[in-house]
Amino acid sequence: MRAVHYVNQFFAGLGGEDKAETPPTRLDGAVGPGRGLVAEGLEIVGTLACGDDYFAEHEEEALAALIGYLEELAPAVLVAGPAFGSGRYGYACGTLVAAADDRGIPAVAAMHPENPGVDAAGKAYVVPTAVNVAGMRDALPRLARLAAALAEGRDLGGPDEEGYLPRGLRRNYFAERSGAERAIDLLLGKLGGETRTEVGGGLDRVDPPAAVPELSATLVALVTEAGCVPQGNPDRLPSVRAQGWFRYDLNGEQTLAAARYESVHGGFDVTLANEDPNRLVPLDTARELEREGRIGRLHEVFYTTTGNGTPVVTATRFGREIAGELREAGVGAVLLSGT
Amino acid sequence: MAWELASFSADLLGDASVEGADVEIVLPGSPVRVTHVLDAVEPRIRPDGRAAFPTQGKSGEGRTNRLDGVVVLSCLDFAAEERPLHEQESIVDLAGPGAAYTPFAGETCVVLTFRPPEEARNDEVEVHARTETLALAERLAAATLEAEPQRVEGFELGEVDGGLPRIAALIQLSDLGPLYYQFVYGQPAGQAGLPRVIDPAELLDGAVTCGEYHWAAMRNPTVFFQRNSLIRSLYREHGERLDFAGVVLMRGYEQSADDKQRAAEAATMRAQELGADGVIITTDAGGNSHTDVMLTCRACEQAGIRTTVVLAEETDPESTRPILTDWVAEADSIVSTGNVEELVEAWTPEHVLGGDTLLDGTPAAAAGPIPVRNYLGAANQMGQLSLGALSG
Repeated sequence: MRAVHYVNQFFAGLGGEDKAETPPTRLDGAVGPGRGLVAEGLEIVGTLACGDDYFAEHEEEALAALIGYLEELAPAVLVAGPAFGSGRYGYACGTLVAAADDRGIPAVAAMHPENPGVDAAGKAYVVPTAVNVAGMRDALPRLARLAAALAEGRDLGGPDEEGYLPRGLRRNYFAERSGAERAIDLLLGKLGGETRTEVGGGLDRVDPPAAVPELSATLVALVTEAGCVPQGNPDRLPSVRAQGWFRYDLNGEQTLAAARYESVHGGFDVTLANEDPNRLVPLDTARELEREGRIGRLHEVFYTTTGNGTPVVTATRFGREIAGELREAGVGAVLLSGT
Repeated sequence: MAWELASFSADLLGDASVEGADVEIVLPGSPVRVTHVLDAVEPRIRPDGRAAFPTQGKSGEGRTNRLDGVVVLSCLDFAAEERPLHEQESIVDLAGPGAAYTPFAGETCVVLTFRPPEEARNDEVEVHARTETLALAERLAAATLEAEPQRVEGFELGEVDGGLPRIAALIQLSDLGPLYYQFVYGQPAGQAGLPRVIDPAELLDGAVTCGEYHWAAMRNPTVFFQRNSLIRSLYREHGERLDFAGVVLMRGYEQSADDKQRAAEAATMRAQELGADGVIITTDAGGNSHTDVMLTCRACEQAGIRTTVVLAEETDPESTRPILTDWVAEADSIVSTGNVEELVEAWTPEHVLGGDTLLDGTPAAAAGPIPVRNYLGAANQMGQLSLGALSG
């Protein structure tokens, strides 16, 4: 099971803070804590090292060089750290294992759960450790065990079973009991004072912005998730689970005529909406407000997607991308019609 | 008054012909993929001559006969151009990797494929398919009237030890308009006077039927009411670990923020009237029905009623930042019935019933990996099945 080990300048034995500017380098065999991993049965074919400051200040170059070495060595697994509570070292470990994982090289780092490197690791695995080097002896066997499992290509179980930090991914499984029976257990437990949940919550609330100060002098855009597109759906906007959004020129049109526009939204019966697409994207009313001077001007492009079965992460990306374009165009307010 | 459910052998299955539909009887575990599935119904009939799926009166009394291990699957590809279902495919695999996601793979399936006339309106076609399917389910069980049951189960809520926690089930039923209704005694959920308390036996005995054809995995087909795992478990635990207080039916997809809040408070009042210490809140379909559930959870908790919520996750399997469609801080006890976005391995069935082409244009026999979302009832949010999701 060929493994490559990543350490910083200190654990590579190159020096302390005075050597933190050391660029990426490749050492033969196991070095420092890598020897402990070898003692646990891992075969380390090479060690990569980089100064913490160098990595932080030249991330792109450092990463490119380290990945280059890694691809030459073609290991079955990359092991990084343990970095314990060291933020810079942890960040380098996390970033490197994430990059390796992206390239299909199984990778695992080890560090304290609050190390910022945990976030940087993305979908790669992180084994939790104590906050300082006193936790080395405890960490190495666990790190080696997970690395060996990854190198073998074994299907890993959950975080508790395998000893890694939850990565935020959700994986289906078949429980021994039905959801209904689990619900009764959870509720009786909660009434007994022990509250548990199978899925955590979290808020993704957007605070309403302050009122637009002077609407009569503001460029206003129309944006919708109602799946409103030119007749025939020329760009093939999906009716569910859109992977992106489109923008269409209004070309001075005064109304969204049924002959020219339609909704391809798959989440509701679009029959009535398609009799008058203005009810999805209120162009007729917006033009009236424009004529009356109640809004400064209407942006001559409208943005559309299908908000139906879209994971929140994906929808958030759409929002960011559209908002970026609107900001660049000087739009100060958006009429966002949802369905 | 007690209700009895008598189970009979599947050998008593009656004649399955239906006008305007192709009928195939598929034996358990056959290498068959069934597509465009609207609903699944267990064949049932009442010896006293009252309807198995009544539109008046009250079910859950007397005796009902059922065929054990038989399910009717109704299939229909809405032809009309404005079909609202677009890519909301609904599949049952009776073998292969998808079979793990359905209880029907181990049963005899009576597959009805409706062939509606091209010019027919969606809503008319739907009424025809739904009523014919329920009628067939009743006819298929007719032979049980002359036979001896294999077993009889009784359902009655007797007096129990006053110290046990009183638990109610709050069952959400969708009403998002045509083709997205659940029915209570034949009335769309939105017109059925919800929220309303019903006897748990009514739910098991055909009072609620499915006409809601949203995301297949998050759908509550009729058979999941007939065989409801939550209600059956609560009956079983009654007098053991809990005191089953009853069932509240409530509507999902209230149409405005005010309506949603009012409905949440009204459902909470029904739970209070039942004297519930705790409630299990179940979900129907996805999107804004999850908001109705969360508001109901909050309203109950604020009224001092403890809650556990049952729902499915809709998370990009590659995202390390999963998030529920909606959430309130009071929802601190949630059962996940799985992530509907995960893919199920590809499989090549030997036969396809229901329609050879999936709604997205893919050949059903060579569709590649299919998301859990498209498997009927796979992530059912009444907790009917065992699918769950874990952090990885």
